[in-house]
Amino acid sequence: MVSRRTVLKGAVAVGAGAAATQCTWSEPEPPGPPAQDQAGRLVWRNWSGLQHAYPAKRAAPASEQDLVDLLQDAPAPIRPVGAGHSFTRLVPTDGTLVTLDAMTGLVGHDAASLQATLRAGTRLGDLGPALAAIGQEMPNLPDINKQSLAGALATATHGTGRAFKALHGSVVAFRIATPGAGVLSCDAQHNSALFHAARVGLGAFGVLTQVTLQNAKLARVKKRVEARPLDEVLEAWPDLVAAHRNVEFFALPFTGMAATVTVDETSEPVRPRGPDTDTETLMHLKRLRDWTARVPAFRRWFAQTVLAAGFEPEEAVDEGWKLLSNERPVRFNEIEYHLPLDAQIPALREVVAAIERHRPDVFFPIEARVIDADDAWLSPFHERVSGSIAVHAYYKDDHAFFFELIEPIFRRFEGRPHWGKMHSLKAAELQALYPRFAEARVVRAEVDPAGRMLNEHLRDVFGA
Amino acid sequence: MVGRFVVVVFLGVVVAGCSSGELESREEVLARAQRAVPADPKLAALYATSCKACHTATDAGAPLVQDRAAWEPRWKKGMPTLLKSTVGGLGGMPAGGQCFACSTADFEGLIRFLAGHEG
Repeated sequence: MVSRRTVLKGAVAVGAGAAATQCTWSEPEPPGPPAQDQAGRLVWRNWSGLQHAYPAKRAAPASEQDLVDLLQDAPAPIRPVGAGHSFTRLVPTDGTLVTLDAMTGLVGHDAASLQATLRAGTRLGDLGPALAAIGQEMPNLPDINKQSLAGALATATHGTGRAFKALHGSVVAFRIATPGAGVLSCDAQHNSALFHAARVGLGAFGVLTQVTLQNAKLARVKKRVEARPLDEVLEAWPDLVAAHRNVEFFALPFTGMAATVTVDETSEPVRPRGPDTDTETLMHLKRLRDWTARVPAFRRWFAQTVLAAGFEPEEAVDEGWKLLSNERPVRFNEIEYHLPLDAQIPALREVVAAIERHRPDVFFPIEARVIDADDAWLSPFHERVSGSIAVHAYYKDDHAFFFELIEPIFRRFEGRPHWGKMHSLKAAELQALYPRFAEARVVRAEVDPAGRMLNEHLRDVFGA
Repeated sequence: MVGRFVVVVFLGVVVAGCSSGELESREEVLARAQRAVPADPKLAALYATSCKACHTATDAGAPLVQDRAAWEPRWKKGMPTLLKSTVGGLGGMPAGGQCFACSTADFEGLIRFLAGHEG
């Protein structure tokens, strides 16, 4: 078995050579927009820097009434922003940018039912310790935890695990402020159509203010990361999915290798996670890419030679919220589609082959995850157990291949796009993928009849 | 190749030695970063939901709050340069530090706090 540390060790040697010719972090920043527009309005950019806008108004309401007033009176389009981690144009507006940063924290909880109500601006990174303090946890969390709860739900942020639904699958009730109908309380019995339509709402129905989550009892888990041959992982994936509570893998293009990440409950004593090695490993993969640009065949040979040595896998034991999410300081752009589970591995084989045939500039690992079906109308997992495939591009690199090379493969396998990650689909294509899409559009128009929540991107999505 | 490797390792050791400070351990720097809060209540609220997530975590790659060794080279660039990097993003730093309610004056105040020049 080979661990990420093996990759690191080998890549350090690569880095020694590469460092002489190119400093990884010293490449120029991609050209950015001016800090202010001609009217003096400050620029907003998403996390990766790809999207930007100059909102006329920025607002951080502290109460539901403030929020409702804003939705009714502020310059449109009114777009809620969480942590800016969406790569699609969900947020850009020249109207009003709304953050829920003043509406955060735990509202209340029920120890018997393991439910907790939180203000919707709470960041996932803060939610973990807040729930742990009351003996609860979300057993399924995404790879990154900077997002706000509202933003994560709006885009169907998902995590991984065959027995787990995406984050919105744990929502049992929410309150939402809307431009046309004020504040509404929604659950499966009350305002049920809005509950089903807006649980994954793209921030297009209004703005969530409170969310009640069905959590689990706080548990200790063991996280294990190991490197294995990619073909071996692809063959073993159904067994891995069946065997582990949370499981994912990263295919490392041009290496023939993969890193599996498994998380399972345990009673072993705590062994906190060590310092992050992912970032350094990632940048060494970049150096390997840079160094072998003129001799790409050497890339695989070198990687496999280095990885042939055996090292112990990395393990950590702790509460799940401390292990499930990771720091990702290297910015990137991303496309992710959710496919029928049976199609995931065939599609991934095509994706890897296409990248290795046509795009030697790609060095980011390709992420594969699994998630259970749910019944939210705009959920990419609607009534379908799904296997996800995420392809990344360094934020300084070209990402046009997402649309030219990768998305056609995903579409051929009947994939549904992650709402926060790059895709080119509009209303007509989405309608064909989502059986309740038309009903969701009707509900959306009822609570926002003037289309105040719709920017250009959302008009494309909803066909408004 | 071996010569280059030795040079790179040597430089890495020198840089690591410079950035770790002479008097404080990394654990002490981290602990101080995690305790620090802006004196201004408005800035404190903005900080809590934006800068804090990355500038108090060693694995995030951001300079820790009030880590003098990390901040002094940046501080010497001057506030206009730091403000431009903050608003537009730079390297691992996302634009605006994910503070979407911040004004230009707020950003300047937060930069002073992070760099240990609040007073």
